[in-house]
Amino acid sequence: MTSNPQSIMASSRPLSTWDRINPARYIGELSETRFWMYLLLLPSALLIMGVVIYPTLYGFQLSFREMRLNRPDLGTDWVLLKHYQRMLSDQIFWISLRNTAVWVTAAVTIEFSVGLIAALALNRNLPGTKVLAVFILLPFFLPNVVAGHMWALMLDPRLGVINDLLVKVGLLGGYKAWFADPSTAMAAAIIVEAWHSFPFFTLLLLAGLKGIPTDLYKAADIDGAGSISQLRLITLPMLKTVIAAAVILRVIGLVNSPDLLLILTSGGPGRSTQVLSLYAFQTAYKDFNFGYAGALSVIMFILLMMFAWVYVRLSKVNQD
Amino acid sequence: MAVARSRSKLVLDIGSYVVLIFLAFICIAPIVWTFLTSIKLEEDIVTRNMIYIPTRITFEHYVNLWNQSGYPVLVVNSLITTSVTVLICMLTGTIAAYSFSRFHFRGRTQLMLAYLIVRMFPAVLMIVPLFIVMRQVGLLDSSIGLAIAYTSFLLPLFVWMLKGFFDAAPKELESAARIDGTTRLGAMFRIVIPIARNGLLATAVFVGIAAWNEYLFALMLTTSQGSRTWPVGLQLMVGEFQLPWGMLAAGGIISILPVIVLFAFVQRAMVAGITAGAVKG
Repeated sequence: MTSNPQSIMASSRPLSTWDRINPARYIGELSETRFWMYLLLLPSALLIMGVVIYPTLYGFQLSFREMRLNRPDLGTDWVLLKHYQRMLSDQIFWISLRNTAVWVTAAVTIEFSVGLIAALALNRNLPGTKVLAVFILLPFFLPNVVAGHMWALMLDPRLGVINDLLVKVGLLGGYKAWFADPSTAMAAAIIVEAWHSFPFFTLLLLAGLKGIPTDLYKAADIDGAGSISQLRLITLPMLKTVIAAAVILRVIGLVNSPDLLLILTSGGPGRSTQVLSLYAFQTAYKDFNFGYAGALSVIMFILLMMFAWVYVRLSKVNQD
Repeated sequence: MAVARSRSKLVLDIGSYVVLIFLAFICIAPIVWTFLTSIKLEEDIVTRNMIYIPTRITFEHYVNLWNQSGYPVLVVNSLITTSVTVLICMLTGTIAAYSFSRFHFRGRTQLMLAYLIVRMFPAVLMIVPLFIVMRQVGLLDSSIGLAIAYTSFLLPLFVWMLKGFFDAAPKELESAARIDGTTRLGAMFRIVIPIARNGLLATAVFVGIAAWNEYLFALMLTTSQGSRTWPVGLQLMVGEFQLPWGMLAAGGIISILPVIVLFAFVQRAMVAGITAGAVKG
């Protein structure tokens, strides 16, 4: 009660010189205006405009222009749909598209399945499993470069420990060069990717599982429903939104980032692990053909948006 | 009936342990194997008969990597880039997350959605224009430029994750301070941010780990020793000098050590933040 009159007195007291130039007082007063919430957003919004929106729009318009850093003689004229037309007859583009579909589908399927199993097991909150959870989540936080080299070391055709183990148990006749054989390179890369990112699904699904009311399971117990039917009739439907969010986020990550394949195989041997993002990156980084790289990325972005839209529609998340 | 149920519970419990122990083994086995390789003698790495547990231990790979390959410079560059990234995110992202968490205003939902959607833009589509722009303004091949480029995908993530932590902080203390005459500014810095400091720490660490690990932007936007980060440097060494496995393993272990330590420290809060942001989003 006493503090209120005091603060009124304090604010009506004549301002000292320091008060007048004190920036904290200025900003404090500014914080009482109705623009305050927008002012708080301004720095980050400007930054995002500068480093995301502007470059993306720039990239879109690049895809309609000629721009090759190593061929300045060609100039930077508008070429309309030339890059998009070239794509139609570009064999590598179609191979990359098919590989992207294989890469994303297989990786997401494995990551989701393993991630769900781990989340279900962790959600039982058995004693001692907290420590195991830390180990299980760790790969997700490791850098692509190191994850790639750790597996390259273990799958090496001369000194790979996995080769040695498989030979010892009799599954393999001799050491195999997994990443040098076009028939196994993609599968090996998918295994590495699944190892690296399945914890992402575990993380999100575990959070989703914690949100399911336990009453539902008690009721199902009374009705005599077994574990499998509880999973099918309660758990999975209740997780629908989380699953949709996790799948979309992961698909975006898999389609957009060529890092792991760039480190493991650079798209080889042949074109067996060439995916769209990697092809676009190499077109920019190696050939310096920025126009064509832009066009490839635009197509990738459009396909991704279409996928997200169809997926959300099919999984009927919005209807809940 | 009751016996059958408790038996099926026991089976599931045992099954859970088996699955979790197996998965935990799969998850850390590559790290352990890389570590073992990094302390083996070179002739014990490539052998006729695989040596699983090294009988002779050496740290020469670490010493060689540190002294001969310019690795310290790469690590310092990475530290600078990571620090600047985290600093930019904290300066601009904290107030944005606070705004989203505490105020309801026209355009809020759309703006929040915009902060989410920008994460979907393909990195490759942004990298080329960023390369051109950075070259024009003289930030190509600089730690500052690279850190600014990193904010393109880390700042939206930072804002979303931190907003979740601010949402969880109780609003009563803040209201009490406001009644006592504190400005909104004062309430933000003296009440809300201190309450959510663990969340802020976890968010900063998460963004820091992501910046430390980043490879693609660094590959495109750095061209010399002056700003090259360790993932690019390590990858280049593999290509240029046929880096021996021992040194490569040592480099990997050195580079993931800070990640593992930080992850162990703030793992719980970080995990909570990632899931809160993602589930609500």
